[in-house]
Amino acid sequence: MKARWIVLAVVLLFVLSCAAWAAERYETLIVGGGTWAQATSWNPLYANNANGTLGLVYETLFAYSPLTNEHKPWLAESGGWISDNVFEVKLRRNIYFSDGHALTAEDVVFTYELARDNNLTYTPIWRTLREVKAVDDYTVQFVFENPNYQEWQIEMYSRAILPKHIWKDVPGEDLMVITNDDPIGSGPYKKLLAGPDRNVWVRDDNWWGNAVFGQPKPKEIVDMIIYENNVALGMLMQRTLDLSNYFIPGVPAIKDLYGLTTWYDGPPYMISANVALLFLNAQRKPMDDAKFRRALAFAVNPEIIVERVFEHMVPVADPTGLFGGWTAYRDAKVAEECGFWYDPEIAKQMLDEAGYVDADGDGWRDMPDGSPMSFEIIVPSGWTDWMESIRIISEAFRAIGINANPAFPDAGVYNDRIQTGDFDMCINNYGSGISGSPYSYWNWVANHNINRTHVTEGNFGRYDNQELFDLIFKFNQLPPMSEESLAVASEIQKILLLEMPSIPFWLNGLWAQSTSQYWTNWPTENNPVGYPCTWANQWQFGGIEMLINLQPVQ
Amino acid sequence: MAAKGFWKRHENLYFAVTNKKVIFGVVVFLAIVALAIFGPLFTPYGYEEFAGPGYRPPSKEHWFGTTIMGRDVFTQVVYGLRSTLLVGFLAGTIASAVGLVVGFVSGFFSGRAPDEGLMMLTNMFMVLPSLALLIILSAYLPYRGIVTQSLIVAATAWPWTARAVRSQTLSLKSQEFVNLSRISAAPVFRIIREDIAANMFSYVFMVYILQFNGTILSSVGLEFLGLGPTRGISLGLVMQNAVNWNALHLGMWWWTIIPGLILTLLIVSLYFINTGLDEVFNPRLREL
Amino acid sequence: MGRYLTRKIVIYLITFFFAVTLNWAVPRFAPGDPISMLLSRFSFLEGGREILESFFVKTFGLDQPLLQQYFGFWRSLFAGDLGISISQYPKPVMNIIREAIIYDIIILVPAIILSWIIGNKLGASSGVNKKADNFLMPVFYFLTSSPYFWFALLVSYLLGIVLGIFPTSHAYSATMRPGWNWAFILDFFMHWFMPFLSLFLVQLGGWAIGMRNMIIYETNTNYAKYMESLGASERLIRRYGFRNGLLPQVTGLAISLGTIVSGAVLTQMVFSYPGLGYLMVQAIKQNDYFLIQGCFLFLIIMVLVANFTVDIIYMIIDPRVRHSYAGEV
Repeated sequence: MKARWIVLAVVLLFVLSCAAWAAERYETLIVGGGTWAQATSWNPLYANNANGTLGLVYETLFAYSPLTNEHKPWLAESGGWISDNVFEVKLRRNIYFSDGHALTAEDVVFTYELARDNNLTYTPIWRTLREVKAVDDYTVQFVFENPNYQEWQIEMYSRAILPKHIWKDVPGEDLMVITNDDPIGSGPYKKLLAGPDRNVWVRDDNWWGNAVFGQPKPKEIVDMIIYENNVALGMLMQRTLDLSNYFIPGVPAIKDLYGLTTWYDGPPYMISANVALLFLNAQRKPMDDAKFRRALAFAVNPEIIVERVFEHMVPVADPTGLFGGWTAYRDAKVAEECGFWYDPEIAKQMLDEAGYVDADGDGWRDMPDGSPMSFEIIVPSGWTDWMESIRIISEAFRAIGINANPAFPDAGVYNDRIQTGDFDMCINNYGSGISGSPYSYWNWVANHNINRTHVTEGNFGRYDNQELFDLIFKFNQLPPMSEESLAVASEIQKILLLEMPSIPFWLNGLWAQSTSQYWTNWPTENNPVGYPCTWANQWQFGGIEMLINLQPVQ
Repeated sequence: MAAKGFWKRHENLYFAVTNKKVIFGVVVFLAIVALAIFGPLFTPYGYEEFAGPGYRPPSKEHWFGTTIMGRDVFTQVVYGLRSTLLVGFLAGTIASAVGLVVGFVSGFFSGRAPDEGLMMLTNMFMVLPSLALLIILSAYLPYRGIVTQSLIVAATAWPWTARAVRSQTLSLKSQEFVNLSRISAAPVFRIIREDIAANMFSYVFMVYILQFNGTILSSVGLEFLGLGPTRGISLGLVMQNAVNWNALHLGMWWWTIIPGLILTLLIVSLYFINTGLDEVFNPRLREL
Repeated sequence: MGRYLTRKIVIYLITFFFAVTLNWAVPRFAPGDPISMLLSRFSFLEGGREILESFFVKTFGLDQPLLQQYFGFWRSLFAGDLGISISQYPKPVMNIIREAIIYDIIILVPAIILSWIIGNKLGASSGVNKKADNFLMPVFYFLTSSPYFWFALLVSYLLGIVLGIFPTSHAYSATMRPGWNWAFILDFFMHWFMPFLSLFLVQLGGWAIGMRNMIIYETNTNYAKYMESLGASERLIRRYGFRNGLLPQVTGLAISLGTIVSGAVLTQMVFSYPGLGYLMVQAIKQNDYFLIQGCFLFLIIMVLVANFTVDIIYMIIDPRVRHSYAGEV
């Protein structure tokens, strides 16, 4: 008799807790793909902070939409250049940090002066910045000397505005060190907890933006740490993941079967997020020869990569490498006159003319002086899509008589080798992500900072061309979309195409697959209500809008 | 008559060729080896070639189906099998050889300094979690070939052989026939060759089989983690690719299950040979 | 008895010393600079990188002479300080490991003990029953021949994907909070089951085979024959056989602990089960060498402790060891 009651109580307890759990599930958004290690720091000044620190907790003056290429006022109500060298920001009223303090011009000034007085990752902005002053409580002026207009286009949506009343007491040497376990920001979410395999954020119901933008729907966001895409797919299938930002092979094949939503319903399924380029080491022969480099561009058919490796989830890149908002600067005439396309006959002809012929009859082309040549193309081991891609690229090179082989060093070795220039060719995309200005792209593919042991800011092939570097520098200092900036942009594109220090092949996607069991109204091509991205430091690309526009099923 | 005499002289061989387990094991083993040797002749594709459309289940054109990208799984398996067998052969040989020498020397000098030292080393290596050690070693070697892989796998595989051979040597050393030889003043070398070594032969053979199995399993595990040879194909790599490309979730069981099944069969067949031979060399077991 | 233990302890200490030294040396002399690796993941404003780089080098003490780094390594080891993770900076490696190791224990300990007990029982009955043996032996061989990860994949495919009973990854659901409530315990159990089962079954095969062979040997030994001729019952003979067979199986357990732990690493990979093995493979992918070292060290400590436990058990159940090492014989 007694035992039966106990069993009954246990069952009841079990059912109740399950029911409670099921109810919570409809208020929780589970995402994955943006976090690759356990979160340990919520310090916005530390670069490796928890995904969401910027965007969910701390906010920026502006948001940026890669879809429309527009800066959207966020903390700022408006902003613009009031003279050649002064950028004025008007802040919204009634913005509060989660501890109730108001966010004012003073906090903005403090955030920037912190980088002037200490060594922080954004300290270099003070090379051209002269002063940041609060004109009144809601007006801030950034006074420059020769402003880098293009870089500012990116800076505007990148900097977390810190609460002065909290950070003013942190000693300078601790600024990057403290973990800031209880982050106080102005954003729509607060940190709830962080485990070895997840970060959990809880909605701040008093967010100032509720009145301006609307309230984000998920009460909690669980950001899962998943290291393998097959695990992410399994979770999507079992509906334990609502939005996956992983590259998942097979999505086109099973999309309808499992009811997955992608941005486009058909190819290319995903929004483009960055360019994958083949870097050629210009410090090694014969890749110091522009004719040789350019011939290679004609040898590869990127369509095969798109079809076989990515199942049409990515598009082929434009020869200029420009996409998204950057295409505003694309010069169609230059692209047509100096571009490249798949035609191995042209490649062969160019190589023949330049003297790269098979001198010793072994089936492989040799250097003009008769010495044999062979190349190694590297990508990190385990990056399966890239591994398959360079197999295809090497095959294409071999088909025109160039002895190229794929190789897969471990990721650490790969990074070391591309940075020290110890490679022939490699695929990379570290710095080619979409941004508010093509300056970020050009300053990466043709970075001038190449005369040192570790090249880390791009231009891994160490292609040296002062004229190009000067043009990129000049471009940075020209107002966006000005006549002059377009002219300089054309020049840059022309040099990049004719000199071909790196070859843009395909556009990696913003991988996003979502399920509709618990949440609907996902942003898609026909319903662009946000940017389905949970990657770190990209929440301000429209991720918050997505959260606001989601609809709970129950 | 001559035949009968032959079997009489080679009694063990007779029992070996009539033992069902041995027969089964040998047949399966040879079939798999034949697959590795002749398989490539039956496939018109290269293992990296796009042989057809992706997602195809086993069919007449693609015996083991195709991968997500349209590579032929049969081709990948037969080429992969070659490298896996080669690693097993190389690593198994190295590990057995090291284990034998260490065990034999140690057993021969039992109780003295070389024995103490070698056994210390053996016990130490035995305790180290081999895969963890292998992961550490592999992870920091930027390029790995089959030989490198065999060496690092063998480096952690030999200890149990050394220990087993040592005790076997010890027990043989104290057996009567050795003592008899010693009394009859036979040279030491002859004792080793004719008595100890001859009696060890069957044992060595079985040790080798176990080492072959063990090293194949470790190396496939490494390959599965992406720490195998950086070039070429192997069974572990085929399965790693299958997992990386979501084969199971996408319903392509043939891509994951078949390579593993063949590998498992290979190892099972060797175990059968081993158990069968055990019965052959230990007549007492035959009665069952 | 004392001598036996001392001897074992000395071996374990030397192993530990060797492992620690290796652990310290390998990443430092291997190619691939972890700091650049870490930094290469971020893009900065021009010049921002140098600032962060010098900050890291100083924090991790990589600018000190090697010998000093080595002694420092030992010193902090004894202080329980395994350094700070690079990929999860600034979290101490010790804390990360503490969170992970529970998952190793929770699947390894039951899998090892249960598979050993059940495997031996099954093997013993298979050894004395020819009919069952014909069916069971191939099954055992199949189990023990399967690569751990492949078997895990098989289990995951059948139970997780085809039948859809168990979740295929992680230790508990995304919406769950750890706590003592039924929903969580059930959820945890469901996630635990497949990694446990695959480890359990693969090991089971090995023990069963071992015991089966042992029983067959034992029932054919002279003493068994002698007992038989004295009129002892078959059951009694088997029981003696089983007992005698157990000793080598205990030794076998000690020998195979390393392999079992390795198997757990692979199994955790298949199920994304967040134990030390999983952590270590992720740490390797991210070149987080303090974390790699920490995981390796703890895997070794785990194996050493387990070995030591087995040694003590062996000593208790085998009187010969007690006596021979005490110098009484």
